Amino acid sequence: MQELHNKIKSILENGSASLFIAYQKSREGKITPTFITKPEQSQKAYFGDDCKQNLAVYIHKQEVKNFGKVGIFANIYTLKSLLQIYAENQIRDDYLKVVTINPNGAIVEFANFMEIENYVNENKPAPNPEDMERVEKLSNLSREERWDYWLNELSTCIKCYACRAACPMCYCTKCTVDCNQPQWISTPSHSLGNIEWHIMRAMHLAGRCVECNECARVCPMDIPLNLLTVKLNDTANIEFGQQAGLKGELDYALSTFKVDDKENFIR
Amino acid sequence: MSRIGVFICHCGENIGGTVDCEKVAETAAKYPGVAYSVDYKYMCSDPGQNMIKDAIKEHKLTGVVVAACSPRMHEPTFRKAVSEAGINPFLCEMANLREHCSWVHLKDDSTTEKAEELVKVLVEKVKRNQPLEPIKVPVTKTALVLGGGIAGIQAALDIANSGHKVIMIEKSPSIGGHMSQLSETFPTLDCSQCILTPRMVEVAQHPNITLYTYAELVGLDGFIGNFQASIKLKAKSIDHDICNGCGDCIAKCPIKKIPDEFNAGLGTRTAVYVPFPQAVPNKPVIDRENCTYFTRDGKCGLCAKVCTKGAIDYSQKDEIITIDVGAVVVATGFDIKGTDFFPEYGYGRYKDVITGLQFERLASASGPTLGEIKRPSDGKVPQNIVFIACAGSRDPAKGIEYCSKICCMYTAKHAMLYKHKVHQGKASVFYMDIRAGGKMYEEFVRRAIEEDDVNYIRGRVSRIYEKNGKLIVKGVDTLLDAYPVEIEADMVVLATAGIANEGSEELAQSLHISYDQHNFFAEAHPKLKPVETNTAGIMLAGACQSPKDIPDSVSQASGAAVKVAALFSKDELTRDPLIAYVNRCGPPTYSTCVGCFLCVSVCPYLAIEKEQIKDRNGNLIKEVAKINPGLCQGCGTCVALCRSKSIDIYGYSHSQVFAEVMALFNERSLENV
Repeated sequence: MQELHNKIKSILENGSASLFIAYQKSREGKITPTFITKPEQSQKAYFGDDCKQNLAVYIHKQEVKNFGKVGIFANIYTLKSLLQIYAENQIRDDYLKVVTINPNGAIVEFANFMEIENYVNENKPAPNPEDMERVEKLSNLSREERWDYWLNELSTCIKCYACRAACPMCYCTKCTVDCNQPQWISTPSHSLGNIEWHIMRAMHLAGRCVECNECARVCPMDIPLNLLTVKLNDTANIEFGQQAGLKGELDYALSTFKVDDKENFIR
Repeated sequence: MSRIGVFICHCGENIGGTVDCEKVAETAAKYPGVAYSVDYKYMCSDPGQNMIKDAIKEHKLTGVVVAACSPRMHEPTFRKAVSEAGINPFLCEMANLREHCSWVHLKDDSTTEKAEELVKVLVEKVKRNQPLEPIKVPVTKTALVLGGGIAGIQAALDIANSGHKVIMIEKSPSIGGHMSQLSETFPTLDCSQCILTPRMVEVAQHPNITLYTYAELVGLDGFIGNFQASIKLKAKSIDHDICNGCGDCIAKCPIKKIPDEFNAGLGTRTAVYVPFPQAVPNKPVIDRENCTYFTRDGKCGLCAKVCTKGAIDYSQKDEIITIDVGAVVVATGFDIKGTDFFPEYGYGRYKDVITGLQFERLASASGPTLGEIKRPSDGKVPQNIVFIACAGSRDPAKGIEYCSKICCMYTAKHAMLYKHKVHQGKASVFYMDIRAGGKMYEEFVRRAIEEDDVNYIRGRVSRIYEKNGKLIVKGVDTLLDAYPVEIEADMVVLATAGIANEGSEELAQSLHISYDQHNFFAEAHPKLKPVETNTAGIMLAGACQSPKDIPDSVSQASGAAVKVAALFSKDELTRDPLIAYVNRCGPPTYSTCVGCFLCVSVCPYLAIEKEQIKDRNGNLIKEVAKINPGLCQGCGTCVALCRSKSIDIYGYSHSQVFAEVMALFNERSLENV
């Protein structure tokens, strides 16, 4: 921990960042993000297995961008998110200082996204077996059963948009659900509006989701939202060999085609 | 408040026979915002158009829905009519009651109901239409012609003679293409080279034509009127400005055994070579793949020693040049299947089973036998020759289901040429059907059969094999009650299928034009736009579109040239403004586009670029997508992809499409969800 504190301190002192985003642990044991601007505050930072939040979500915030150069402590999912949003042109290499702790407990500071790409590919997180099992189970249901399952799950949605707020890939200034000229997605939390919203959210994350599972974790109604995107990611990988968050350059199945695609209709 | 006029056309019986047009007009009059509604027998006729014009003035209409045929037919007609009455043409839309309704349904109340709904949808759309102005883009009045065969030559000359600059590129060392390889041409039996070479010389001498031989297109960017072509000029290893074409280098070149492409592999050539005596330009190039100097590290160098001008330059490098052009004519020609394609005809193992193109070279005075018909294996004059038409063509089992079109005619010609040269010889032709549609074509085939005594056998050949120095051709005569026929031939000529060039798929992709399942380039419309491609500004000429004979290729080339000349007749192009755009809004957002640029790769026309929004001090505020109005074809793919709905499309906006869809919903259908 001391090493991490020293690292943050030195980053803030030598001016490679004027804000450092990290985790902190309260006396009650609650993990929250912390925004460190002064070197002497760096001992606030904490890291442990319980640090689940995806801190990459803060990178897009105007309040954070106003600091100019920003440092961030990233777990593996945050790293994947950063890589994906870098590929999507949302952050610049020279404005970000990224620090992580590798599986051996050593501090790693990345010079650029190339290094992040290499690190992420060497330390790819294994899919969550529990989630995979649930996806598998759902896939084995009939189409009607699956539809009923989701109708039931999504009926409890209260449209608080916590899933959107927690997702680093949901960085649009104006979300489709906020478009009211015309109002494509109805906003009240009745079943039509809920289904429209969640189908849209899942489709917008298809092949872009890094599977940090923040959406499910933050859902106050405990809807297993991540299963939708996990399944879509799986499909993008099987059908098009595309995985999100592993490359610093854009590789998006829904906007590209390959000349050697196995399907003939593309030719 | 909208004041929409609805005009229902009967199209004679076409719509009126199935749809109760009067009732549709009555119903439409009750839709909110409709100020006037009427039906008429032929809306596109002069009186019909005048009805629209008068109604616009009389009822002060703000928009017009013409419910008639497909907008592909008469949209320009009606848009012009409304603009003559003083309202913006883009405030007029068509509901397709013919192709989308009356032609595909039976006469029934529900058919009329559907017609009413189609009108309702368009009324809701037109209420939200905005007046639009056509887009103007400048034109670079230079044409790029790809390929120097007869089609390319004709197109280049026609464009050049109409006063515009032409860049012609040809991948081989000389222009002339397949036509220069032919002996004589049907149906007149005039010498191919005699009629072609004057055109080749004209290309070389024309002040408006710049010719690049030994060159290939590597990329094409831009859009109609404003293309940028990247052209690779392959190193010729000889400075053509110095070379006088004396041929000393060719005489001295020690590498003499290279199969000669010009002679379809029947002869040989040297590593430094001119493809044929009348080549344009008539100066040699060094084939680096076969030249010892290049394959064995600077050994040899004989040509440089004998060249009195010092023109040989081994150090030349491939060069890539970029040229601005306004239009492209693709005339890259075709290829033929080789004899190795046919297992039943010996997989190309028998030397005396040759292709039609090889026969052309045997019959040609400039060929390897100086025009004498001698068989490749031992040089003997064949006394019994068999021609097999439809070798591969019209054979779905072989994957070539189309007719190669030229084979019937050239096979008749081959048989005739053979009979003219070997009087006592026997010529037989196996055919499926004789397709001799063309001026003087049928007469030509009759002449072969009747005057030159060519034995035409209707039937296919199942097998060819060698026995005692003869080729045994086993076939069937289907006109003689499927009687088996066996001929002991000295030589067999296969009229192999005409196919797309190797690499044509890649070329189509770099040109962004479409192609069919056989990799022939696709025209924009099979009947009404046979020389245009789906990409504006790119035309097709000749056999790169489908197998064609010389007159067809030349006609199409002239057609393509006129399209180019018409394009170049104006300084600016106008086009429909139905294109996509990225929205803009006030600060601090400036645009809801977040600049993820996922849309860049989705655009099939490469029309999306990055734009920087800067404050007045030049500081970057944000990067957003920008759509090039010249390139955008309004396909809407980016609109569908954009997560934040930041891209919209003029004429098909989100609010218009949404209103159209909602117009079709009624309370009942919403209850089910």
